[in-house]
Amino acid sequence: MKRLLTVFGIIAIIAAISMVFPKTAFTDTQKDTTELSQPAPVAIDGAQNDAEAATGGLKKFFEYTGFANVTSGHLIMLVVGLIFIYLAIRYDYEPLLLIPIGVGILIGNIPFMLDAGLQLGIYESGSVMNYLYFGVTAGIYPPIIFLGIGAMTDFSSLISNPKLMLLGAAAQLGVFATFLGALILGFHPAEAGAIGIIGGADGPTAIFLSSKLANGVNILSDGTTVKNLIGPIAIAAYSYMALVPVIQPPIMRLLITKKERVIKMKSPRAVSKLEKILFPIIGLLFTAYISPSSLPLLGMLFFGNLLKESGVTKRLADTARTSLIDIVTIVLGLTVGASTQADIFLTSESILIFVLGAASFMIATAGGLLFAKVMNLFLSEENKINPLVGAAGVSAVPDSARVVHVEGLKANPNNHLLMHAMAPNVAGVIGSAVAAGILLSYLL
Amino acid sequence: MIINMIIINKILDFSAINAFTTSVAIVGYVIVFLVLLLLTLVYNLIPKIIAFNVRRRRKKQGKCDDCEIADTEGDVTAAITMALYMHLNEIHDEDSNGITIRRVSKQYSPWSSKIYATNPFVRI
Repeated sequence: MKRLLTVFGIIAIIAAISMVFPKTAFTDTQKDTTELSQPAPVAIDGAQNDAEAATGGLKKFFEYTGFANVTSGHLIMLVVGLIFIYLAIRYDYEPLLLIPIGVGILIGNIPFMLDAGLQLGIYESGSVMNYLYFGVTAGIYPPIIFLGIGAMTDFSSLISNPKLMLLGAAAQLGVFATFLGALILGFHPAEAGAIGIIGGADGPTAIFLSSKLANGVNILSDGTTVKNLIGPIAIAAYSYMALVPVIQPPIMRLLITKKERVIKMKSPRAVSKLEKILFPIIGLLFTAYISPSSLPLLGMLFFGNLLKESGVTKRLADTARTSLIDIVTIVLGLTVGASTQADIFLTSESILIFVLGAASFMIATAGGLLFAKVMNLFLSEENKINPLVGAAGVSAVPDSARVVHVEGLKANPNNHLLMHAMAPNVAGVIGSAVAAGILLSYLL
Repeated sequence: MIINMIIINKILDFSAINAFTTSVAIVGYVIVFLVLLLLTLVYNLIPKIIAFNVRRRRKKQGKCDDCEIADTEGDVTAAITMALYMHLNEIHDEDSNGITIRRVSKQYSPWSSKIYATNPFVRI
């Protein structure tokens, strides 16, 4: 509870600061670049002219520094970046993501003269960050991350108890409910679709879909350009994924009775190698034929899994699940963090996205939990499932499964739900990617 | 109250919920469900097909007429596998069971010499 209050308190303070201080509070220090591009007065002769030239040079140098260009927006984002780093180190909340994103936020919000042609900003064509960011805007990084996820995920628990896959579908309720919510709050359908996918609790999927639907490039039916919401959506998705241990337990306790929480599930059966090999092949063919738009994500997920399960491509699988995914995670986290440049990120839309994202996560969790309860109505006594595993239907692998396990242990110290929860958890990855594909095919 | 209504009407745009957006939400959710339901059915079927093939093959080989393929639980399989692995690799405890202290060949040492422990000055 204390953690929850800390985190949401900080978010509320930041939101309040951004409301109170207009983002251009300090911009009066910025000068016209044309004036600055003029050469400093050259000393022709005499000590006085030398002194003037030196002072002019110093003044010009100062005008290029961060101190002269800082705005309240930069300072707010600096605090946000530091909070991300703090949460990762102090509470161990998704440190592999929050550290690169936090540092990215610091890098992306170093104040500099925007129009001086320094080619520093992530949105300035030709800058190093812009080249790295291309992987985000073109949707290159998320499929590579999915390749790594496929190569490191063991789908045995899902194969041994396929009915748990439906929980992964039920939890996608958050995606579509938030889509409607975003529409009511005035977002364009394409933007609303990108915001809704936050409920899928899958960072790469959220980035992939927002890079296609809300990229600041596409022209809408009314002739206007779609807003660039990649930064806020990615930050919201990863923030809430990191906050799964805070968001989910209260909803679990609210919706699941004590009696239901102690249900012991049957141990998963052993899965043969043939089944493990068939799983990615059949999964790829079925999902891609029904929703081809999800192919970049699911194609790579199942490809990575086949590399793992085939048993003959160990080197490729090892690379995909270690070095490759690590490299892309570093670049993805850093660039997504840097894309939160204050002038783009600190808008009322970002705050709405954060609110909608939280709602989306809660609805998704509730959807999974309630569907698990419904499933129990039709299952025999020995096949009953512990409804807590429904919460793992939001993807957030493996955090939500871990949360389910911990909550299960609280109710019954001998009830280990981790392996059971992994089934809806990985089904959630497939479900959110399918949902992204459907939204893409409808709204692009 | 009226002000609240105005604010709500200004912020919340319910006209955006039209036939198209509603169908995106409903059809989208139903498709996600159908995809995963289909996969559930297929993956339920696969072990049965595999078991059927194994039974048929064994029947052909004459190993058994009415073979039942039991679904072993994963943890049982893991325990059996571990036991077999350890047996085949003989890495379980194998020692002589001798727990006595081995005698050293060099028996005399000044440290164990009795002469050093006695007092040469006898008290009269």
